[in-house]
Amino acid sequence: MDLKFSEQDEAYRKKLLDWLASSGELISRTMQGTDDSGERNPMQAMRDWQKHLYEAGYVGMSWPKIYGGYEASLTEQVIANEELARAKIPPSLNTVGLTIVAPTMIQHGSEEQKQKYLKRILRAEDIWCQGFSEPGAGSDLASLKTNAVLDGDNFVVNGQKVWTSAGHIADMCVLLVRTNRDAPKREGITYLLADMKSEGITIRPLRNAGGGSHFNEVFFDDVKIPKENMVGELHGGWAIARSTLDNERSGLSGVVALEANFKRLLQLTESASIGGEPAIEDAHTRDQLAQYWIEIEGLKYLGYRTLSEQLKGQKPGSQASVGKLFASKLRQAMAKNALEIVGPYAALTKKSPHVMDRGRWVAGYFDSLGYGIGGGTSEIMHNVIAERVLELPRSVED
Amino acid sequence: MDFQLSDDQLAIQDAVAKFFQEEWNSDIRRDALDDGPVKISDEIWQQIVEMGWIGIAVSEEHGGSGLELLTAAMLAEEGGQVLFPSKLCTAFTTAFALDQCQSGDTAALLTDHMTGQQFVSLAVDEANGTFGPENNATAATLAGDGGTISGEKILVPDAECADCFLVAVRLNDSGALVKVAADAPGLTITAMQRIDGQSISSLQLADVPFSSDDILGGTDDADQVLLRTYEFWTTLISADLLGVTTKALEMTNEYAKVRQQFNKPIGSFQAVSHRLADVKVAEEVGRSLLYGACLALQENPDQCFPQVSAAKAWLSDAAAEATEAALQLHGGIGYTWELDVHLLLRQARSHAVYLGDAAYHRKRIGNFITG
Repeated sequence: MDLKFSEQDEAYRKKLLDWLASSGELISRTMQGTDDSGERNPMQAMRDWQKHLYEAGYVGMSWPKIYGGYEASLTEQVIANEELARAKIPPSLNTVGLTIVAPTMIQHGSEEQKQKYLKRILRAEDIWCQGFSEPGAGSDLASLKTNAVLDGDNFVVNGQKVWTSAGHIADMCVLLVRTNRDAPKREGITYLLADMKSEGITIRPLRNAGGGSHFNEVFFDDVKIPKENMVGELHGGWAIARSTLDNERSGLSGVVALEANFKRLLQLTESASIGGEPAIEDAHTRDQLAQYWIEIEGLKYLGYRTLSEQLKGQKPGSQASVGKLFASKLRQAMAKNALEIVGPYAALTKKSPHVMDRGRWVAGYFDSLGYGIGGGTSEIMHNVIAERVLELPRSVED
Repeated sequence: MDFQLSDDQLAIQDAVAKFFQEEWNSDIRRDALDDGPVKISDEIWQQIVEMGWIGIAVSEEHGGSGLELLTAAMLAEEGGQVLFPSKLCTAFTTAFALDQCQSGDTAALLTDHMTGQQFVSLAVDEANGTFGPENNATAATLAGDGGTISGEKILVPDAECADCFLVAVRLNDSGALVKVAADAPGLTITAMQRIDGQSISSLQLADVPFSSDDILGGTDDADQVLLRTYEFWTTLISADLLGVTTKALEMTNEYAKVRQQFNKPIGSFQAVSHRLADVKVAEEVGRSLLYGACLALQENPDQCFPQVSAAKAWLSDAAAEATEAALQLHGGIGYTWELDVHLLLRQARSHAVYLGDAAYHRKRIGNFITG
């Protein structure tokens, strides 16, 4: 048993770290919202950043070369994900495109679709969003109702999608629609690619509980989508969607984010006080910090076990759902603990006098609550573990 | 990068599981709850000795098999699953301690221990309300080549079959393990009773004489040998706890598939299945932490305590969670003497407070994190 990477892999890591070190100016310029032409344009700056990251070799690492990918080894991907998560680089604008749309298209798309879209995803020329959830179809996604009728060469789509991250900036959308209302619910769904500039699409920002607006509602009113934008077979969309849903669930790069959260919490305990003493001297706080440290270690080693299985060609299986459930609980526990340490200031808005750290801890707390919902709720993760790992009988009838 | 059991380890694991299946059953543990400490028959122990288990992680230089420490932990886990007594953990630990030393005396004792000629046990925990060798009050005083030990040790495993003990003491403001023969003058052994029926005793040491040759590792390396031994033992008990966790989950999972109420298997109710899913998460995280502890021990034995404490703290809690869930989800039958659930629960609860409870190990981690 060992956790060492090969010399070749370490050389790859060094090259990446060197590239990051030499890209400091580009990174800070991007963070300030300045694009390649020197204009202040935050969206274009993020697109330009992804293009540079791609050209350096750190986007599309797992993709086949014929579609612009690098066919990097699994260990190289892990190293890159870890180091990029650790370096404070600009967040990706195109997560849906890179982690959901492209793998789906590579696996199920037509040759024409692959040629048309994949390279544009790599360079962030197209930003994608995901039109899956609906007001009436959340955990029970397969009950979705957005309707599509084939009329000549076009589908005509009517309905509403919700929780559409990046919907307001996206160029394209992957869309699940109902094409047969009489079939069992999983057998009447079709997978489409929609141009967000199509006539009949209305986007409305949706404010979340914490006050942010990353999500949108997207309304479809007689929207025409060409037939060639169908992925796979008519009514065959469910299996296609399922095959990449697991991509949303985190791996080792999630550990890096948790380590960063932990470090900030530790710093908070050094500066805040409980009962007149530094919080870091408080026995209960120390016990809690130790528990979080243990859990992050556990998640990290769990990630290494999963990676080892993948390196031997085994499917990662359902450990992803174990990790997702555990990581979101841990994130929530840390965020709640931070509020305890912040004490009375945890009741203040970010604009209030006396607010601590500009409201970061309250914002982090609201964020953490979202992690138990997005990408499959904790309740659904419990069901997945019960049914797929423990092989217990299904708890819900379909 | 390979953070999994190797094919060789998997083969050993299969063979060990098969051996236990043929030679051991949990009824022995149930009977021992009424009739005094559980014993492994001489025949079974002799087979274990002949299969070379005791020296499995001992260096080849000292006559062992030289396999990874993880292999010993894996055997401890298999033992925990079938409720085999934790004497295996005792035997591995004292073999490990003796293997750290270079003197001719300890080499001979190690050979005897591995070949079943003698059995060596060890004594760390004390009755002063603290855990960990750094808090030991039992003191050894050394003048010239000899000295005496006085104090009391509790929760000492397998004393009735021990020929010799490695006793953790304070010596010159540092820690040490000192060899003390079971028949040494001034040593009194008193049987204690553990809630899971496993053998434990207390040792009263009143001016027990020792010579400087009895200090494991000599005065210079004594502290290091003691601490490494403590970390290794703690890891093996964590592995045992993982075995208990796995078994409790497996039993309950099977039961939830077949037990019908309201015309359905109870495992189809989310109140049941979600609790089992939580236990599964605890087990997976525990297994990952145990592997992490084994690797840290192997590669970095003098700095491995955070990983070792992480595994012990987590698995002490996880084994309790798993066995309590087993008792609850089995319903009425789970609360009976006849079912094995309480045997697993008893072992979980005993080991959880052995060699440092979860709070003690989190305290060690707290000190590590905050520097």
